[in-house]
Amino acid sequence: GRIFCPWGRISPLPSSPSPPPPVSWQLFYSFFKSLVGKDVVVELKNDLSICGTLHSVDQYLNIKLTDISVTDPEKYPHMLSVKNCFIRGSVVRYVQLPADEVDTQLLQDAARKEALQQKQ
Amino acid sequence: MCPDGDACVARGGGSEPERGPRGASLAVGVSAPLTMFRYQSLEDCPPDEDEDAFQTLGEEDEDIDQFNDDTFGAGAIDDDWQEAHERLAELEDKPATARELEDGTVSDEMDLLGHHEENLAERLSKLVIDNELEDPAIMQAVQTQPSMLQPGGLNSSIWDGSAVLRRIRGPLLTQEMPAVSVLEYALPQKPSQTQEDERDLSERALPRRSSSPVIGSPPVRAVPIGTPPKQGAMANFNQQILCPKPVHIRAPMQQRYPAPYGERMSPNQLCNVPNSSLLGHPFPPSVTPVFTHLQRAQLLGGAQAGRMSPSQFARVSGLVGSPLASMNPKLLQGRVGQMVSPASGFRAFFGGPPPSAPTPSQQQHPPCPGSHLQNLRPHSQMFRPDTTHLHPQHRRLLHQRQQQNRNQHRSLNGSAGDRGGHRTCHQEQLRKDPYANLMLQREKDWVSKIQMMQLQSTDPYLDDFYYQNYFQKLEKVSAAEEMHGDGPKKERTKLITPQVAKLEHAYKPVQFEGSLGKLTVSSVNNPRKMIDAVVTSRSEDDETTEKQVRDKRRQTLVTIEKTYSLLLDVEDYERRYLLSLEGQRPTLMEERKQKICDMYDNLRGKMPGQERLSDDHFVQIMCIRKGKRMVARILPFLSPEQATDILMATARNLPFLIKKDAQDEVLPCLLRPFSLVLYHLPSETVTSLLQQLANLPQSATAPAPANLHLAAVLQNKFGLSLLYLVLSRGEELQSSHDATELMQDNQWTELMFTATRELLRIPQAALAKPVSTPSNLLSLFSRYVDQQKLNVLETKLQLVQGIR
Repeated sequence: GRIFCPWGRISPLPSSPSPPPPVSWQLFYSFFKSLVGKDVVVELKNDLSICGTLHSVDQYLNIKLTDISVTDPEKYPHMLSVKNCFIRGSVVRYVQLPADEVDTQLLQDAARKEALQQKQ
Repeated sequence: MCPDGDACVARGGGSEPERGPRGASLAVGVSAPLTMFRYQSLEDCPPDEDEDAFQTLGEEDEDIDQFNDDTFGAGAIDDDWQEAHERLAELEDKPATARELEDGTVSDEMDLLGHHEENLAERLSKLVIDNELEDPAIMQAVQTQPSMLQPGGLNSSIWDGSAVLRRIRGPLLTQEMPAVSVLEYALPQKPSQTQEDERDLSERALPRRSSSPVIGSPPVRAVPIGTPPKQGAMANFNQQILCPKPVHIRAPMQQRYPAPYGERMSPNQLCNVPNSSLLGHPFPPSVTPVFTHLQRAQLLGGAQAGRMSPSQFARVSGLVGSPLASMNPKLLQGRVGQMVSPASGFRAFFGGPPPSAPTPSQQQHPPCPGSHLQNLRPHSQMFRPDTTHLHPQHRRLLHQRQQQNRNQHRSLNGSAGDRGGHRTCHQEQLRKDPYANLMLQREKDWVSKIQMMQLQSTDPYLDDFYYQNYFQKLEKVSAAEEMHGDGPKKERTKLITPQVAKLEHAYKPVQFEGSLGKLTVSSVNNPRKMIDAVVTSRSEDDETTEKQVRDKRRQTLVTIEKTYSLLLDVEDYERRYLLSLEGQRPTLMEERKQKICDMYDNLRGKMPGQERLSDDHFVQIMCIRKGKRMVARILPFLSPEQATDILMATARNLPFLIKKDAQDEVLPCLLRPFSLVLYHLPSETVTSLLQQLANLPQSATAPAPANLHLAAVLQNKFGLSLLYLVLSRGEELQSSHDATELMQDNQWTELMFTATRELLRIPQAALAKPVSTPSNLLSLFSRYVDQQKLNVLETKLQLVQGIR
């Protein structure tokens, strides 16, 4: 064949398909990592509240919950059969945590350090 | 025959280039790129292209195939799709022998390098009846003959034919950044395929990707992505056709079938490209961890030269479908080798042994994952958290919790319970998971690698501060508990996170050649400037007193924050000290001292070159809750004089501070550091301290009817506790060997009288509840009051525990 592809060789995909998360989320990531295995309630921006065990979290603060149950009166019947879920980080409004799993002093220190880091 | 007849300039083979009006225009269009590529003939190329278009074309006729490789990756041939269709329709009627396929595949699935491409090409060529269309030159170069014809809509037989094995392998093996790989054609369901369900999943090889690439227009999806197949695990059929136009892709066909094409094979079997990463059966998408080289390193027992990266694999837990215990070591090696090379950062993980020699380290690996997998297997259910990368303390906690849950369930349900039933039900479902194997293992690894790369940090301690410190603290606590309990300590595994060398990137904004000025390209690193913020300072005149007050508070807050930064730094010095070299240590110590002094100056409001005048600054700080906490944390670092000074200042202003603390009630946090300071104080200091508390001037004046200062102190928890501490210390000093001076100290005696007087006077209800009552107070009071009063004091203050 004598067809010439005028735009030559195209590199198939960029080296990073998704932009890296903001540096300011590193603290949240670190914090949520320490909560893996604990029970939390995630409230989404669409007002759905999901109670479950935090299975994992990633740098975008996407959350995986296991053994979930919808906390509010089950006006979300479609969730009845769902046992595990993956929640995209951007749709989370709140995450309710067990208070005794949090070291507030350490959290404050971490926040200060991060603020310092960002200034530099 | 070309499907895009218009776009075709000429056909492969010995056919003439089209001339005539159309030919002319086309020739013109063609000659331009021709000249682009034909460097050597640039000089030869006549400036006037129109005239010489034909000439040029004629000249280059013999070299017309020179660039086939460039253009098509030598993957394109002109094929007669209709004939192919008929051929395949015949094939369809005679189902292939299943066994043959399987055997053939098993041996080939490990073949990542496409060694058998040539064989397959031959076989395929047999299939192509009409050879006269093929240019022999092309045929030599071509290793596949995919005809990516699109007569519109899904014509199954077309796909079933040569189009089948159009897998473009990710370029991992070719030392490029991994790229697109899922290229399969949407294949319609055929009843004859049901038998091949299992086989489908088991094989998918990646044909070797030899040269160019791909991608022209956006993919055409015959079946929308994500459509679950109708029958069983036909995940192969959720596919993307990357290039609808013919002849772009070089997709050599992997040899999969021992039998030649002409033999009995159902067309859909041809579609089932051997899959290298699947071994005979689909993976349960349970979270058995993907054993990348890093995790394997971890498995090998932790801190092997500190190459673990547990915290950085937090995300690998999401990966699904790792090869099971029968993982092929060759696969691993192949994969690992590639994974290391593209990312220089990953070199750090291997540290000493360079990536070029991964084999020695890898040889240890294959047995390990297997064993680990076997360990994990009994535990693995859907979504069990992947704990291999966590801090060991964290992992322990998680396991405990899970065991608890399991026990709970067992007790609730008697038998293995819901979970067990759940599990088997899950596993069954997993076997038939329609979404399994959408991606190859390599692809999954690639995605996870990208994620991991984003997690690489130059300073894991800083980036992951909270997590690491949190578990360190937990460990300390549990260690402390254990010390009191059992004797031998458990093995304290440490969390070691590898560090990547910091690369200095000088960010250069994108520049375009030939553009006038600088064009702004907005990106993640260089976001568009939306707001032009300018800092303006307010003039002094405009401020009202209210503002001044507010500003003062703000100033204090700023001071507190600055001091906090210093404090965090100072607290960090111990760690840095351990990490640093010998020569650097004195410098570090100096820095630390300097910072401590700065902190103290900040606290006391001392400007450099100015004598401290008042406690005001300090009191301001102490009015704020975080200020108090900060003081409590700073105290251990201060020198004795500095600490004493702080203590005095606190005592002096105690009623004020108490009043301000009414809401926060944070003052008691200061007790512990204060007590530590107290234990080192000499007697005269103690005396003056007590004086401060009692707020008596140096010279004893006429005793006031009620000592308001002291009364306020007594009514406050902190105040009372502090008083007790001071008194206790005094008693300690008195009862020690060389205590005579305190006995002789008039002031002390005076103060004691005052104190006891006040204690007796104050109604019990008003008395605060101290944090702790030192035991030696009774003996202290006994020196200064008579027995009757002593008894009163005793009962009031509950100085004696237990039955008298």
